[in-house]
Amino acid sequence: MSQLQTRFFTDNKKYSVDDVPFSIPAASEVQELSNVINKLLEAKNGSHSQIEFDFLVRGQFLRTSLSNHMEAEGISTEDVVEIEYVERFTAPQPEECMMHDDWISSVEADSEWILTGSYDKTARIWSLEGKAVMTVAGHTDVVKDVAWVRRDGLTSLLLTASLDQTILLWEWNSERNKLKARHCCRGHAGSVDTIATDPTRTKFCSGSWDKMLKIWSAVATEEEEEVEEPPSRPRKKQKTEQLGLTRTPLMTLSGHNEAVSSVLWLDSEEICSASWDHTIRLWDAETGSVKTTLTGSKVFNHISYSPLCRRLASGSTDRHVRLWDPRSKDGSLVLLSLTSHSGWVTAVKWAPSHEHQLVSGSLDNLVKLWDTRSCKTPLYDVSAHEDKVLCVDWTDSRLMLSGGADNKLYTYRYTACETDAGA
Amino acid sequence: MRTVNLESQKNGTMSKAKEKSAKKRVVEEDDDQLPIFDKDVTEKKAGEEDDADLSDSEESVFSGLEDSESDSHDEEEDAEEGDDEEDDDDAVILDEILTKSSGVETATEPPATDKNTPTDIRNTVGNIPMEWYQDYPHIGYNLDGKKIFKPIRNKDELDEFLDKMENPDYWRTVHDKTTASDIRLSDEQVDLVHRLQKGQFGDVNFNEYEPSVDFFTNEVMIHPVTNRPQDKRSFIPSLIEKEKVSKLVHAIKMGWIKPRKPKETTPQYYDLWAKEDPNAILGRHKMHVPAPKMRLPGHEESYNPPPEYLLTEEERMAWEQQDAEDRKLPFLPQKHSCLRAVPAFSRFIHERFERCLDLYLCPRQRKMRVNVNPEDLIPKLPKPKDLQPFPTTMSLVYIGHSSLVRSISASPTGQWLVSGSDDCTVRFWEVNTGRCMKTLEVGGAVKSVAWNPNPAVCLVAVCFESTVLLLNPGLGDRLVVSSTDQLITSYEPPEEDKEQAVTWALSEGPEHDNGHRLTLTHPKAVKQVVWHGKGDYLASVMPDNSSNLQVLIHQVSKRRTQNPFRKNKGLVQCVSFHPLRPYFFVATQRYVRVYNLIKQELTKKLMTNCKWISSMAIHPGGDNLICGSYDCRLAWFDLDLSTKPYKMLRHHKKALRGVAYHKHYPLFASGADDGSVIICHGMVYNDLLQNPLIVPVKVLKGHQITHDLGVLDVTFHPTQPWVFSSGADATIRLFT
Repeated sequence: MSQLQTRFFTDNKKYSVDDVPFSIPAASEVQELSNVINKLLEAKNGSHSQIEFDFLVRGQFLRTSLSNHMEAEGISTEDVVEIEYVERFTAPQPEECMMHDDWISSVEADSEWILTGSYDKTARIWSLEGKAVMTVAGHTDVVKDVAWVRRDGLTSLLLTASLDQTILLWEWNSERNKLKARHCCRGHAGSVDTIATDPTRTKFCSGSWDKMLKIWSAVATEEEEEVEEPPSRPRKKQKTEQLGLTRTPLMTLSGHNEAVSSVLWLDSEEICSASWDHTIRLWDAETGSVKTTLTGSKVFNHISYSPLCRRLASGSTDRHVRLWDPRSKDGSLVLLSLTSHSGWVTAVKWAPSHEHQLVSGSLDNLVKLWDTRSCKTPLYDVSAHEDKVLCVDWTDSRLMLSGGADNKLYTYRYTACETDAGA
Repeated sequence: MRTVNLESQKNGTMSKAKEKSAKKRVVEEDDDQLPIFDKDVTEKKAGEEDDADLSDSEESVFSGLEDSESDSHDEEEDAEEGDDEEDDDDAVILDEILTKSSGVETATEPPATDKNTPTDIRNTVGNIPMEWYQDYPHIGYNLDGKKIFKPIRNKDELDEFLDKMENPDYWRTVHDKTTASDIRLSDEQVDLVHRLQKGQFGDVNFNEYEPSVDFFTNEVMIHPVTNRPQDKRSFIPSLIEKEKVSKLVHAIKMGWIKPRKPKETTPQYYDLWAKEDPNAILGRHKMHVPAPKMRLPGHEESYNPPPEYLLTEEERMAWEQQDAEDRKLPFLPQKHSCLRAVPAFSRFIHERFERCLDLYLCPRQRKMRVNVNPEDLIPKLPKPKDLQPFPTTMSLVYIGHSSLVRSISASPTGQWLVSGSDDCTVRFWEVNTGRCMKTLEVGGAVKSVAWNPNPAVCLVAVCFESTVLLLNPGLGDRLVVSSTDQLITSYEPPEEDKEQAVTWALSEGPEHDNGHRLTLTHPKAVKQVVWHGKGDYLASVMPDNSSNLQVLIHQVSKRRTQNPFRKNKGLVQCVSFHPLRPYFFVATQRYVRVYNLIKQELTKKLMTNCKWISSMAIHPGGDNLICGSYDCRLAWFDLDLSTKPYKMLRHHKKALRGVAYHKHYPLFASGADDGSVIICHGMVYNDLLQNPLIVPVKVLKGHQITHDLGVLDVTFHPTQPWVFSSGADATIRLFT
């Protein structure tokens, strides 16, 4: 059996070993390497307890045997191989399963509450422990997307977008558990599929099947804005009275040729939207003009942006998660494809505190946790769902969420190693 | 060495010859009376001549010395003529001889002719012109110094003539100018003249073929002939030669003399076939046909073949019964105990004759075989990979129906899908999630559904039993939904009510809440509904072979129904509107008829060559049409090209049930009972000269075959390269 000269290093001072080359069997895999490190640490520090490590060779996670990996990556076996090791990201532990009455179309969680939108025309507020706190009912059709706007103490503002072409801005008092529809945002001519609140929490953007993006004010006001309501529609009038004041968009961004499937704010001046016309567009939120267009080859279902690594991740109607650089000048450069799903990728979400990790949900009933340093195999497959996964989310409070067509919202607890987080 | 010898010998010869000539003169003077050609003298002379000849030949090799000639002349000529110039001319020699002989004769003859005069009357005047003595009575002086007188009688011409006529010896009479007398030649002299004239030696006794005696021995001697040391000049380079060589060298250097070209050493051949075209098919070497070879004898031809080659009794019988041409072997293998027992070959002549026939009838020309690579015969089609996008994988399954799904249709925006099933329901689906948004119960198995292609109208036509139902699903833009409702309710019945084939009824109450808007009750079972591109007209098909009421065209806004055809032309299978122009396509079992709705006439009749058409789709450009048939075929018609199919595709194993064109992408799909959907790239070019390009790109499988039925309907997504298929397994599948 051939041996390889390797040198181990880590950023974590706690687990550092001596900087000397070791001769390791070329066929050794992660587990064996991990044992080696543990042995070394034990020799150094008697009170060391067994820890699982993961290994990176030139920034790529080791997933096969060392020799296979090096052959695939084209690394010379003659030199001393530098292997970085990090504490293994432990598997996310399923925590809660929140049953809904119908398919879960969207989920957004913050540090205290979970907001889900469902096909039963309602949105729900859950505590992190999985207790249903509030049902937000008011839409006449499927709730397609939900978003938190802001929280001032006990009162929160939240948004729900629906197939009935409206977005409702709700005010919810968590102490009294009272909900009030503050505004009804009308203007879209198709189902509103996606909404996103801007970083300043004063505006939000919505994308609709009618190919438009609209920017709205997210500030709850008391007075009704001017709406041209033809008097010949008494039914609509009634609805407006019921569901708060009607609000009209601040700005409309048109340019997509097909339905807008996902929208997000890169920063307070820049909006990014993905569409069925195979493009991702970056818009200037001030002027409403298109800044950049990234062209793909398939319909985009969902996008997510990580300010840590400044990358866009997109899920499309093929089985790849693709990473994009939104700042790139030539608009069609895929940086990386993460390939392991076998169905459409319906949802992607970057880790809020880790620059390499993201989670994706797919029509193949799987939620996958990815590390961009290992683009062929995900870190973990979460196969809790029994039907299509439609939405995923990831909170700062170490919670991953996924909801799908099996009416269940799963939450998973994960423990990020401290050194790795925010690295 | 040899040169030296010869030189010395030559010198010797020369001196000898001088001696001889002197001697001879003495002899001649001694014996005057002797005939000239005395034997002894002749012999001696011959020996001398031999010597002289040899020496002459030897010398002539080395240098053109004139001594030898003079030598030889010396012997034969008179003393006075000794210095005569050498002349090779025979006649001259003859002259000289004659003169000499005459001289001799004059020496001999006088005693016979003139008794008075002393014997020797030889003229001694020398070799002068005798004209000088013309005016004198004498002609010279003899040896005694006395005058030789001319003969008194002067012969004139007449005398000459008479003499010639009368004198028998005239021919041998010679006039001697020196003595001015006629001399009669003796017989010996005449003989001599004759011999010389013949080129023979003058001496009769001379043997020209005497055995030669080698002067030099042929044996190589080790010692030189002479003991003389070699000259110094034979050792030192010759200055003259050096000078000559240097001159030549100079001339070569200056280029005045060109060095000789080296000879071509390679042999030159003439290429007989140089002008032959090497690529000619009929080239000799290519056309060479070797003689057919005889088959080598095998074991069965042996006199003692192995037992397995011997025929059994049955085989022998069979062999005998067979025709001679059909026999595997032309003879019967036979076993003999020893070679001696083998009889004469009875078929020898026959076999030779056949061999001759083989050679004679052997084809003299090779058969031209066209070397065709079978792959070249396949038309060059682009690779499917280059024709993307097209649906490749199954992405979504729409589950909910409980019986076979007969018909599907996508909304013009591509957000919704409607399906009609045999479980008497119509379901509305969200395309991108597979969510069933709505389920409507209708009163029968749904045969056909059609979403209004006009995006400003939200209507779905559903047909079951003998009813066509117009539904407003309430999906999509609220404004469109409400405007559709408004459009339907804003109908005002005309004042005069015309009798119509169908009854239009407005739904109310709970049915209205379910989305039912209008109900068209037909007299017969409706099989298909189809919308016009503008969304106002609707055609329904009621197949019935015995009636002319098979196709109805309804106008929704005016709630009017027309029967466009007065005559029944066969069992109508399906109909379709032209997407742009006012044409109407009606497919019966075997033909597709194209009608102009405005002119109300038949424009075209397409022969499908199919047994039973099942489905039909019109290209969005309107110039092409595909027909699926129950006999597994798909026919593509180019309406501008012909009424016959441009292409027949037989990709499916079982009956085709549905065909569809994509609105934007160059794709068409066909679904069949074998459970597969075949996607083909069907590019139609704007250039009328270019025929459509049809490339099958993908077979999509997924549907289970239930009750021998597979895929029942296919339809494309209006904007994406996706295809929906509905099957007998109660599912709808989306392939992307």
